Amino acid sequence: MPDIASLEGDPAYDVTWPWTSGEPLVPGLTCVFRVRNEARNLPWVLPPIFSAVQQVLLVDNGSDDGTADVARRVAEECGAADRLTVLDYPHRVSRAGGEHLATPATSVHSLTHFYNWCFAHVRTTYSMKWDGDMVLTPEGAGILRDLAWQLQATRAIVAMPRHPLTVVDESTGWLDLSLRFLEPWIYPMGPDFTFVKAFDWELREFPSGVERIVLQQGLVLEVKWLDADEYAHWRRDGVDFTNTRLYRKLREFEVDEAIRNGDPEALGGLVRVTAPDGVHIIDHVSRDWLWRQPRPLVQHSLPATLKERVRP
Amino acid sequence: MTEPTSRRVVFVVGSGRSGTSTMAGTLRTLGMHVPQPEVVADATNPKGFGEPRWVVDLHTELLARSNVQVSDARPRAWLDTGTTSGDHATRARVADWLEEQLAVADELVIKDPRAAWFLGLWRAAADRCGATSSYVTMLRPVTEVVGSKQTYYGRMGAGSDQGAVTRTAAWVNMMLHTERATRGQQRAFVHYGDLLDDWTRPVFALGEAFDLTAVKTAMAVDIAEVHRFIDPSLRRVTMTWDDIGVPARLRELADETWQALDGIAADDSPKNQEWCDQLRAAYSEQYAEAEAFAHSTVVAQRRAAAAQARREAGAEPGRTGVDRVPHAVRAMVPRAVRQKLRKVVGRERPPQQGQA
Repeated sequence: MPDIASLEGDPAYDVTWPWTSGEPLVPGLTCVFRVRNEARNLPWVLPPIFSAVQQVLLVDNGSDDGTADVARRVAEECGAADRLTVLDYPHRVSRAGGEHLATPATSVHSLTHFYNWCFAHVRTTYSMKWDGDMVLTPEGAGILRDLAWQLQATRAIVAMPRHPLTVVDESTGWLDLSLRFLEPWIYPMGPDFTFVKAFDWELREFPSGVERIVLQQGLVLEVKWLDADEYAHWRRDGVDFTNTRLYRKLREFEVDEAIRNGDPEALGGLVRVTAPDGVHIIDHVSRDWLWRQPRPLVQHSLPATLKERVRP
Repeated sequence: MTEPTSRRVVFVVGSGRSGTSTMAGTLRTLGMHVPQPEVVADATNPKGFGEPRWVVDLHTELLARSNVQVSDARPRAWLDTGTTSGDHATRARVADWLEEQLAVADELVIKDPRAAWFLGLWRAAADRCGATSSYVTMLRPVTEVVGSKQTYYGRMGAGSDQGAVTRTAAWVNMMLHTERATRGQQRAFVHYGDLLDDWTRPVFALGEAFDLTAVKTAMAVDIAEVHRFIDPSLRRVTMTWDDIGVPARLRELADETWQALDGIAADDSPKNQEWCDQLRAAYSEQYAEAEAFAHSTVVAQRRAAAAQARREAGAEPGRTGVDRVPHAVRAMVPRAVRQKLRKVVGRERPPQQGQA
């Protein structure tokens, strides 16, 4: 009997947790990617991750840009081919927001079920979700590499801030330092740490009183490419961003619009960075620029107008 | 990060009383730089510690901030010092200091028994300075380490071997986690006994493995100096389990830890590393059991400490402007007036106190 039978009755996409099937969890940290069309980013994203964690699980959800092949190639180049597992999740997953809300949590189309299915394949005592556009700095990788064994003595969740970098061209980018974008990424594996449905997307549960570790700023970039026009459908769809939960998304949209309109300074909180000749802006910011900046990099986590709406 | 350079930082780690001072002193004598000033020699280490004062002070401060002791047997202590190691201001401070030292010399030796707790911090600082980090872990049988600590640092716990148990546990914790913290880095393990028997072999090997100019180009006069510096009689404490009262289970774990590290010293292979992983898990389990076993003691001590803190806090807020008036002046106020004043401020004395 699976822990969560898929609503559609497809046994290949039922969820069976390792503690139910009796499979042991070995000490270590697995990084779980759920990706679609991240071939462009993975050469920056994967190497520091391979240097930090024991296992990488990449779940491809309908890419048509060769994402899985790029992942295998980068793993090979990093000497980590034996630590990469690539799985395919062929079902269309509901988009965050109203579509997610309308989808039952145990449907193969639900973000909640998708996450539970992905993480049920983890066989280490800790797991972390990671996005296919998030680049760790070398110091960030060093800290995660140490945490991967230091965390084994306890059960804690680890949050880390990330900083969106919009890449304008190979040598120019805009870094958004207006918000902390602080989210928990690392969790222990166990029945208390599975995914449930929230309004807009999935939510990973944790028991009350669990220890929470917050890492410092300046360790993770979230790469956005201006030429990819990732927010085109937002402009068309007129998404409603009036609530706090979605503010982060609104900010990304505003940043994209401001850079596109040639007036990012007016928005505030954006820093223009230029890389030296021959160095890609992502490499420059992640390896050489971030650690040199004074702290705190980011002053607040939410704009004052929205702070009062956040429950204590 | 800057491009790789000829800059090298060798961290000498391992449990205290394992020959770390001898190794640091040897590398210094051959021409590597120990940042100055150093901790001065004393009777416990007559040839000097080879420890930079600044480093010792920094580690002492960071250990206090992490609530971790130098010899801490708790497996989770590594998470606490690791979290402290991530602090940006501390990283900047250490990188600035290291940059100053590397301006003096390209090849540094940094040794402090506390250093193992903060290797992530040092590695990041060395990277920022464009220096290659490498690690020498000194190995000495646990019975000799514990025996030496009992001899030179004193016994912990009157008339019992509680100190030996705690120190043995701390040794296992330190050695297994130091192995984990340095894994995948440029590293070597050196037996203290080998260093005393014939230091030329392990030290020559370090020079080659870590590409240390000072060692590779050492002159005869430096080599002769090392022979004078290394004194086999330094190994003054040789003990066996017969001399130390440690429970069989912990003794077995410590023995196996020694064998695993000995294995890694000869062959730093995934198989031997996996052996260390298993021992670390076994140690954590044994420690958690001991913690659960002694939980009543912890609760009692926590309550006693809380009561003490309340007493101390209670003494302070109770003080008012009246308390600050000297007693001789207060005594001049007639007793009846004093009583009325007490009533007004709500500090009436109970009858028995009032009689005094």
